[in-house]
Amino acid sequence: MDEAFFVQLALSAAAVGALVAVAAWARIARPVGPLDEHKARLLLAEEFPGRPIDAVWIASDGCGAMAKSAGLALVICRVGDGFALRQIPWPQAVAATFKDGRLRVNLDDVAAPAATIAFAAWPPENLKGDLAA
Amino acid sequence: MMEAEFDPVTLATPFFVLTVFLEIVFARLRVVKANYETRDTATSLLMGLGSSVAGLLTAGVVFAATVWVYQHRLFTIPMTAIWAWAAIFLLEDLTYYWFHRLSHERRFWWASHVNHHTSQHYNLSTALRQTWTGGLAGTWLLWLPLAFLGFPPAMIAIQKGVSLVYQYWIHTEAIRRLPRWFEAVFNTPSHHRVHHARNPVYLDRNYAGILIVWDRLFGTFQPELDEEACRYGVVRNLATFNILRVAFHEWIGIARDLVRAPRHALGWLFGPPGWSPDGSRDTSRALKERAGIPVRGHVGPEALRPAVEKA
Repeated sequence: MDEAFFVQLALSAAAVGALVAVAAWARIARPVGPLDEHKARLLLAEEFPGRPIDAVWIASDGCGAMAKSAGLALVICRVGDGFALRQIPWPQAVAATFKDGRLRVNLDDVAAPAATIAFAAWPPENLKGDLAA
Repeated sequence: MMEAEFDPVTLATPFFVLTVFLEIVFARLRVVKANYETRDTATSLLMGLGSSVAGLLTAGVVFAATVWVYQHRLFTIPMTAIWAWAAIFLLEDLTYYWFHRLSHERRFWWASHVNHHTSQHYNLSTALRQTWTGGLAGTWLLWLPLAFLGFPPAMIAIQKGVSLVYQYWIHTEAIRRLPRWFEAVFNTPSHHRVHHARNPVYLDRNYAGILIVWDRLFGTFQPELDEEACRYGVVRNLATFNILRVAFHEWIGIARDLVRAPRHALGWLFGPPGWSPDGSRDTSRALKERAGIPVRGHVGPEALRPAVEKA
C-alpha cells in the first residue's frame, strides 16, 4: 500500500462524511407516517402472503407492531424510513422483556437482532380465549 | 500488459461523489425522484469505503493467479487491437452475467453479494454498497479463463473497472426509461431497479452488467411493470444499519446452520438462498410459486392479476 492509497482513502472518507451530512440536511427520506392496523396488515400480507392473522397490536408510537398468526408472532419494526418484519414463536414473544412501556423482542437473527416496540401493556389485555393459545 | 496503468473505478471516484451530491440536491429541489435516508446513506457509503480496503487484502492473490494463468495462455491477444477490446467487452460482460447469477442463486456466493441488496432504497449511494468478502468468496476465479484465452491481466482489470463504472449510474430512480433501442440492448436504470426489487415477480431477474441481451438470451429478463412498483431490499429486510452485520450476516447465518445441522452442509452452502431441509424457509422459487408467478421467463402485467386476486 503506497502513500497515494492512503491519501485517496482519506479523501474518500472525507467525502463520505460530507455526503452523509448533505443527505441529513436534505431531509428527503421516504415519508413514513405512524403505523395503523390497515398499514400493518398490508405489510404483513406483502411479507407473509396467505398467512392468517388472528390479531394485530400497534405500537403506541406507530413505529412497530406485533401480530399473532397461529403459533407464530409476526413482528414489524421500523428501520429508518422502512420496516423489517420477522416471525418468531408466539411463546417467545409473550415471554419477551417488557419494561417502561417498551417490549424488547429477541428476533434471533443476525440481520435483525432485536425489536423494541412501545406498548401500553404486554402481554396485551385482549389476549384471551383462542388467542392466548 | 500485466498491471493496468489506470483504474477506471479510481478515476471515476470524484464523479461518484459529485453525482451523489447532485442527486441529493436535485431531489431536495424536487427536480428528480430520489429518496435518501441518512443512516442508510451512511451505511452504503461506508460499505463502499470498506470494500476498497477489503479488496486490497486479496488483490495480490487475484493478481498473481491471473498472471500465472496468463503465462499458460492459449493465444497472445494484443492490447492495442480494437477487435481485442470488442472481444473482451463481450466476454467480460458474459462472465459478469454468470458471476452475478451465481451470486444470487447459490447461497455461498450470495453471502458475499447480499450486502449490495440490503438497502431499502435505490439511489446512487446504493451502487457503492459493495461487498467486503468478494475476494474470499472466490468468484474472481470466473475471470481466469479470459487470461487463459490470452487477454492480458491489465486488459481484464480495465474492462472489469469499466463494467463497474457503467453499473454505477443505473442505480437511480431519477431516470425512468431510456429510448427503446437502448433499453433493448443495454442494462438501464429501469432494468436494474427490477434486479434490486424484492417483489416476487422481480426476484432473480436482470443479472446483466452492461448488456441486457444476456438476460434475454438466458431467460432471466423481466421488464419493469408500471402496475408493480419496485419494493427494494432483500426478501427479509435487515433491521439494523450496523455495517458489520450488513457485511457478514449471511456468512454468520450459514455458519449457524452448519453447526445446527451439519449433515445438510451442501444444501446450506450451495442451495439457493432461503433453502432449508424441511422447506420452512422461502426460496425465490417458492415465493414466485406462492404468488402464482411463472418461475421461468418474463411476465407481463396480466400475470400479476391472479396473485392480486388471491391476496
